[in-house]
Amino acid sequence: MFRAIVLIILLAAAAWAQRGVQRNTNPLGSSPEVATAGRALYNQNCTNCHGLDATAGDRAPALAAQRSYNRTSDQDLFDALTKGIPGTGMPALGLSTDDSWRIVAYIRSLRASAADFPPKGDVAQGEAIYNGKGECSTCHTIGGRGGLIGPDLTNLGARSSVRRIREALTVAKPHPPAGYRPVTVHLKDGSMVRGVLKNENNFSLQILGTDDQLHLLSSNEIERMVRDDASLMPSDYDTRLAAEELTNLLAYLSRLVR
Amino acid sequence: MLRITLLFLVAHVALAQVSNQDLLNPPPENWLTYGGSYDSQRHTKLDEITPGNVKNLQAAWIFPITSTNRLQTVPLVVDGVMYVSAPNEVYALDARSGREIWQYRRANGLNRGPNRGVAVFGNLVYVGTPDAYLVALDARTGTVAWETQIAKTSDGYFSPGAPFVADGKVIAGVGGGDNGLNGWLDAYDAETGKLIWRWYTIPRPGEPGNETWAGDSWKTGGGGTWLSGSYDPELGLIYWGLGNPAPDFDGDIRKGDNLYTESVVALDLKTGKLKWHFQFTPHDVHDWDSVEIPILVDAQFNGRMRKVMAHADRNGFYYVLDRETGEFLHGTPFIDQLNWATGLTPEGRPIRVPGVEPTLTGNFVCPSTSGATNWMSPAYNPVTGLFYLAAKEGCGVSFKGRQEFRPGGFDFKATGYIESPEEPWQMYVRALDLTTGERKWEYMQVNAKSYGAGLISTASGLIFGGDDQGTFAALDARTGAPLWHFETNYRISASPISYAVNGHQYVAVAAGVNIIAFRLPDTN
Repeated sequence: MFRAIVLIILLAAAAWAQRGVQRNTNPLGSSPEVATAGRALYNQNCTNCHGLDATAGDRAPALAAQRSYNRTSDQDLFDALTKGIPGTGMPALGLSTDDSWRIVAYIRSLRASAADFPPKGDVAQGEAIYNGKGECSTCHTIGGRGGLIGPDLTNLGARSSVRRIREALTVAKPHPPAGYRPVTVHLKDGSMVRGVLKNENNFSLQILGTDDQLHLLSSNEIERMVRDDASLMPSDYDTRLAAEELTNLLAYLSRLVR
Repeated sequence: MLRITLLFLVAHVALAQVSNQDLLNPPPENWLTYGGSYDSQRHTKLDEITPGNVKNLQAAWIFPITSTNRLQTVPLVVDGVMYVSAPNEVYALDARSGREIWQYRRANGLNRGPNRGVAVFGNLVYVGTPDAYLVALDARTGTVAWETQIAKTSDGYFSPGAPFVADGKVIAGVGGGDNGLNGWLDAYDAETGKLIWRWYTIPRPGEPGNETWAGDSWKTGGGGTWLSGSYDPELGLIYWGLGNPAPDFDGDIRKGDNLYTESVVALDLKTGKLKWHFQFTPHDVHDWDSVEIPILVDAQFNGRMRKVMAHADRNGFYYVLDRETGEFLHGTPFIDQLNWATGLTPEGRPIRVPGVEPTLTGNFVCPSTSGATNWMSPAYNPVTGLFYLAAKEGCGVSFKGRQEFRPGGFDFKATGYIESPEEPWQMYVRALDLTTGERKWEYMQVNAKSYGAGLISTASGLIFGGDDQGTFAALDARTGAPLWHFETNYRISASPISYAVNGHQYVAVAAGVNIIAFRLPDTN
C-alpha cells in the first residue's frame, strides 16, 4: 500500500514536471521574426549591462557567452525581465508581456546550441571523416577515446553553436585559446618538450606534451622557450574536404552530446 | 608568574589605543592607515626580512573570509591585533596566528561594491558599508560605538573606500559615480560621528567650476570618492583622487572640463575648503578614474627641496606636482601603448589626439577603459628614490550610446568597452625615477593579464606584490629580480602590508578569499 502511494506521488510529480515544461514555452514561439524583434528591444534595454550582442557583459553576465546560463528556462528568463532579480542589479524592465517574450526569444536564439538545431547531413560519413581523412581524433577525445592535446569534444553539440563549430574548422584564430598554446621548450639538460601550455607564471610551467604526458617544469630548468602564435587546430577544412564532406562532418559534430 | 605575565599581555591589548602621535609617526610594528603612513609611501622601516633571507619566508597563517572571492581589504595592525574587512564584515584577528578575536556583521546589508579596508583611532575601528553608512566599532569587542549615514541608501550610494583618520576627524567618501551619483568627501568627529564638513566633488551652481559642465549635466556628473587619501600635517591638507564623470562614455551631454572629476584635490582638513586642484583628464570619456593613491615625498626637484606629490594615473601618465600649490612639475607616460594623447602641455594638460573618443561602432584606445593602473597602491622607497607601481599594457575598443539617468543607483555609463582581442594584455611591476618618471626596471608578471596586487617597499630593499595568477612575490627593489614567491592560486586584488609582533616581521596580503601572513621561520 505504502509503495503504491509513493508510486502515485511520483507519477503525479512527473506529470506536474511535464506541465512545467509546457508552461515554460514562449507563447510567441521562437521564429526568426520574433527573435529579430527581440534583438531590437534587447539593444534598447539590455546592452548597458549585458554588452553588445550579449557577448561582453561589463556589469552583468554576458548572456550569450556563459554556458552556465544555458539551462535557464524561458519562464526563468521572462521572470527576470518582468520582475528583476532580487539582490542583484537586474531591475524589472517594465515592458509589455509580448515585448518581454520577444527578448526571451532573442536571448534563446543567442544560446541555441548546435544540438538544438543540428544541420542536415550524412552523420555516419561525418564520423568516418572525423576518424579518417579529417584526422580529428588524433588530437581530440570523444567519450574518452582519442588524442588529449586538443579540447574534449564529447559534448560539443550542446556547448557550441553550428556557427562556432564551422568557424573552428575554417577560420584561422589569431591566438590559440588559453591552455592550448603550442610551445617548444629546450631544457638546460639538452632535452626538449613540445606540447601545449596549460599554465605558466614566472616560476613554473605546466605543459601537456605531444606525447600526451604532463611535463611539470621549473623556470630555472629552461634554456629557452619558443611559442607558436598559430593554434595546432587546422583551419583549412573548407579546402581540405569536399563541400559535402564538410557538411557531413558538421552534421556529426553538431550531434555530439553527452 | 606565568599568570601575571598573561594578565599583563591581556591588559596591554585591552588598553591599546591609537593616538594622533601614533598616526603622525607610526611605530614600525604597526600598520595604522591604508597607505601605512600619511604620505602613503607604503614603505616599512622593518628590516628583519632581507633580500638575503627572503628565500626562507613561509606562510605563518591563513584566515579565510568566504563572503567574497575578491577581497580588496588592506589589513591594519595595532599592537598585535589585525583588522580586516569585507563588504558588511569586519574581523579582529590575533596577528601572530590569524585566530579570530571578534567579527562584526552588518545585518541585511546590500551587496554594493567591494570593501577596501578600515581605519583606526583611539579605541575605535571605522568602516564604510555597502548601504553608505560609516560605522565605528569598539576595537576590543567589535560592538558598534556609533554609526552615521553618509548618504541615503535608496539613492544608490555605497562607501567602499577605507576611511581616513587625521586630527580627530574621520574622512569618508562614496561610490556611485558610474551611476551618475555625485560624490563628496565628509569629515566626521571621530568620537561622536557628528558631521563636521562636507565637500562636493561636483561644483553646484554659483560655485567655481560649475561652468565646466554644460547645462544641467553637473547634476548627474559622478566624481566618486571611492578609495582613500594622503595627508600633509605641516600644510594641514588632505589629498584625494576623484573618480570619473558620468555618463562615462558619452561626453556629448556634458561638454566642458567637468571639474573636479579625475582631479586630485587638496582640502583644508579643518574646514573642508578646496585649496587647489589638478585635473589629470579633463572631460574624460573612458572611465579613467583618478583615485590612484597620491604619494607624498619631500624631494629635490630642479635643484631645490620641494614638497612633491607623485601620482600614476589610470590614463597612463605619471605626474609630479608641487603639493603646496598644485603646480604641475613634470609628467610622462609610464606605459608604452598610449594613443589618446601625444604628451602634456607645460601646465600638465593632455595634448589630445582627435578621434580616440568612444563611438557608436567602437573606437580603438590605449590604454583601454580598465586603464594603465587602478586602485592597487604604488609604493616609494626613499633610499632608492624609486616609485613602484603595477602597470598594465593593452588596448580596448570603446563604445558610446545614449542613456537616460535613473535615480536610485542604476548604471549610467552610456555603454562600455571591450578589451581588444587583438592585443596581448600584460601586467608589470615597474620602478620609476621619482622626479623624472624614467623607467629604471620592470618585472613582467608572466601570464598576468589583469589587475593584481598593490605593492609595499621595505627598508631592507624589497618590493612585495602579487598578480591575478595568485602569485605573491618579493622583488629586489634595485633590480626587480624575483627573490621569493608563494603560490596562493587565487587572484590577488589587494595591497599588502608589513607589521611586527614580538620582534618578528610579517608580510600580509588579502588573496582572493584568504588573508595570508608570512614570516621567517624561528630558526632563521
